[in-house]
Amino acid sequence: MTLEGWVPDVGQYLTLAEVVEFAFDYRGNTTIVKADGTEVVGYIFNRNTYGPEPYLEYFEESGEGPFTLRYSELANVKFTGKDTAAGNSWRAWLERKEREKAEKATAAESVRDPDPHRG
Amino acid sequence: MSVPLSQMWTVATYVLRQKLAGRKRYPFVLMLEPLFRCNLACAGCGKIQYPAQILKKNLSVEKCLAAVEECGAPMVSIPGGEPLMYPDIDRLVAELVKRKKYVYLCTNAILLKEKLDLFTPSKYLSFSVHMDGLRDDHDEAVCRDGVYDQAVPAIREAVARGFRVTTNSTLFDGASPLRMREFFDEMMSLGVEGMMISPGYSYSKAPDQEHFLLEARTHELFSRMLSKPKKRWRFNQSPLFLRFLMGKHDFECTPWGNPTYNMFGWQRPCYLLQEGYARTFQELMDTTPWENYGKKSGNEKCRDCMVHCGYEATAVDYTFSSVKGFVETVGVTLTGKL
Repeated sequence: MTLEGWVPDVGQYLTLAEVVEFAFDYRGNTTIVKADGTEVVGYIFNRNTYGPEPYLEYFEESGEGPFTLRYSELANVKFTGKDTAAGNSWRAWLERKEREKAEKATAAESVRDPDPHRG
Repeated sequence: MSVPLSQMWTVATYVLRQKLAGRKRYPFVLMLEPLFRCNLACAGCGKIQYPAQILKKNLSVEKCLAAVEECGAPMVSIPGGEPLMYPDIDRLVAELVKRKKYVYLCTNAILLKEKLDLFTPSKYLSFSVHMDGLRDDHDEAVCRDGVYDQAVPAIREAVARGFRVTTNSTLFDGASPLRMREFFDEMMSLGVEGMMISPGYSYSKAPDQEHFLLEARTHELFSRMLSKPKKRWRFNQSPLFLRFLMGKHDFECTPWGNPTYNMFGWQRPCYLLQEGYARTFQELMDTTPWENYGKKSGNEKCRDCMVHCGYEATAVDYTFSSVKGFVETVGVTLTGKL
């Protein structure tokens, strides 16, 4: 299950702080929508809600950073970047290994009995 | 046991100094992650899943050294990512050795042979080579064929050139105790100084979520694997930690024992869990709600964790905190009976 592509609907049932928690756990870039309407693409790596002014920290897509943004300056976070923890490359490797095993088994079978339909 | 006496002495005197100073919480090993880039993508690893701009970044040597000073631990482990892909790894290691820190450079050894010339053998430097088993088991764990056959000659070369070399093995459900015993024989025959073993942690970001060991299964696996240990096997870790893995000791986690520093800051609360970052080591120690972690806390993320970075510190502290612990450690070390 991945949040990739999710555009949260911040409101009565989903708070901004909850969205930031999801974004903090997300291993991909997000589009950070600021309260003034501007947007920045970056990776949110930290948030701090203990102090009087909760804030998040991020690196921009260019690698610049870290930058700090107060929750009061934030409107939303969109999960626009690829989820790097979705496990796609691992699944591809597993599928390849399974294919190789099946091919080896078929080859071994045909060596044992080169023509199974022979009378 | 294969930890050199000078290293044991350094750790023992360090622990005693902390005790005399009345420090309740103190670090043993700094886990220093100068980068997250890796040339492998192992099934059980949750450390490298980041967007490209993060994977391209490196901590500066200066920031690494500042973290080392700030933390004050006598040992520094450099995991990652793959540390041999860090462009300043030679300078970083040289600076740490100059500061008399015991360095464990954790590597998959793919680049080890070609990078060996960058380093000088020292009692302070160990290459800790990631080896999860014999050829088929290891290559399956790292999700690439041929890695075992790259690592073995690199280990031989490093040993031949006088470097300290250890292995580190992470075990998952499905590991065969018999094959692991063969693996121990094989590693010792390569001439490594010692081996480190640990169950894997169930990283929520690791691709394979099905093969992490639960506590009871960990006890069973390690008991079978380490029963009647051969005299030639040497482990570069606390024997009491091994007894804990076998279910012969009940320890609580020491999450501050192996603090982690990387480009995001000081990771809360430990090397395995990623619940936020502090800007300074002191802030990490002072403001992390430590009571929320470890088995007794009831935190489900800690329930089945028996990983060395949480429990080896407990074992070492136990050794130097009580006569009983010290006598037990000496006894196991001298007899070799776990």
